[in-house]
Amino acid sequence: MAKILIVDDSRTSRKILRGLLEESGHEVVGEAENGQEGVDKYKEFNPDITTLDITMPVMDGLEALTKIKEYDKNAKVIMVTAAGQQNKMVEAIKNGASEFVTKPFEKENILKIIDKM
Amino acid sequence: MISCLFGAYLLKEGKLTKDQLETVFETMRKVRVKLGLIAVSEKLMTIEQSDEVNRLQAIVDKRFGDIAVEKGYLTDEQVSRLLGLQGNQYLSFVQSIVDNDFMAIGDIEKALSDYQNENGFTLTDIESLKSGDSDRIIPLFLPQNITEYQIQHILICIRTLIRLIDSEIYVGKGYVTDFYEANYFALQSLDGDNKATLAFSGEGKSILSIADKFAGEKFDNVDEDSLDSVAEFINCVNGLFATNVNSSFMIDMLPPEYSKTKASFSGKLLVLPVYVQGEKIDLISSFGDIINK
Repeated sequence: MAKILIVDDSRTSRKILRGLLEESGHEVVGEAENGQEGVDKYKEFNPDITTLDITMPVMDGLEALTKIKEYDKNAKVIMVTAAGQQNKMVEAIKNGASEFVTKPFEKENILKIIDKM
Repeated sequence: MISCLFGAYLLKEGKLTKDQLETVFETMRKVRVKLGLIAVSEKLMTIEQSDEVNRLQAIVDKRFGDIAVEKGYLTDEQVSRLLGLQGNQYLSFVQSIVDNDFMAIGDIEKALSDYQNENGFTLTDIESLKSGDSDRIIPLFLPQNITEYQIQHILICIRTLIRLIDSEIYVGKGYVTDFYEANYFALQSLDGDNKATLAFSGEGKSILSIADKFAGEKFDNVDEDSLDSVAEFINCVNGLFATNVNSSFMIDMLPPEYSKTKASFSGKLLVLPVYVQGEKIDLISSFGDIINK
């Protein structure tokens, strides 16, 4: 079971994601509501996996991804976004994101991706 | 949608009571079977395939039949046959009123004619309404002189409401205004080649009809938690819109916003009243520019 950090500006998304991860036995070690807070909490918790929303205030997910990868080049990051942001997904994968998932969350898909990682 | 639209008219005109209308809807719900269930019972799809298509419907802006054809589970001909088995919503509505002895068929036809005249609908419009196809119905309630992309944006929003929130939603007459005072709101603006904003506002606790269903929990008040849920729903709608127009122009989705206090919107605004679980909510859309607050 993985230690997971959730970074998303939406409390609804954080709550839904936490619920389905914990229900499946994973441990959510922390939550952050923007990219900057996400980078800080990554350094604090050193999670196995980080889920990173792309569209966030203060610092978006792409910038946070770069900073997390600078700090830990082996960081496993799943990018999260609504559909329609293919260009940003491609950029994220180029910058080292491991996987991506689309909102609204589809439980089986997320768990399959986490198991694969 | 026609049953809700015409049902609301019959209620307003005193042709049906609220209890009678609810009985009619209840009868319809009992007999209306989902397409996936019919496909499984006809042994055209497995339960697993049907569940998979239902799950996919949450993240793609497509109907059950369209996805099933794309996945190779059904052919176009099979979908047409299954839709035939599922039945026409308007006919089910009329059948249910008559079977319950609430109105005679002739009185229903007369009321439909009055409804047509009151709203200025043509016979073609009435055919569109009877089709049950939201893509044909919604444009009848939108003002003239709005762009094709704005219509597309609104249609995606309505289809997503039907798929994820309430299959029995209906709409009121839309209008264009340059000022809107919101008691509270959730919105998301789009930047890029074409700027746009999609927002929801309402009176009292009406917005909770979206918030509760999308988050999968019961909110007591219009607060930051419930408005965040509505904002995330809008985020999903905009994502589907961005996917659809991806080949035409670039869209950059800005972070969703919400406020539980009053705010004034200005700009060229299209307001479409949407009735979700019977609660009136305003869908506010701007296209070509983002809403000024």
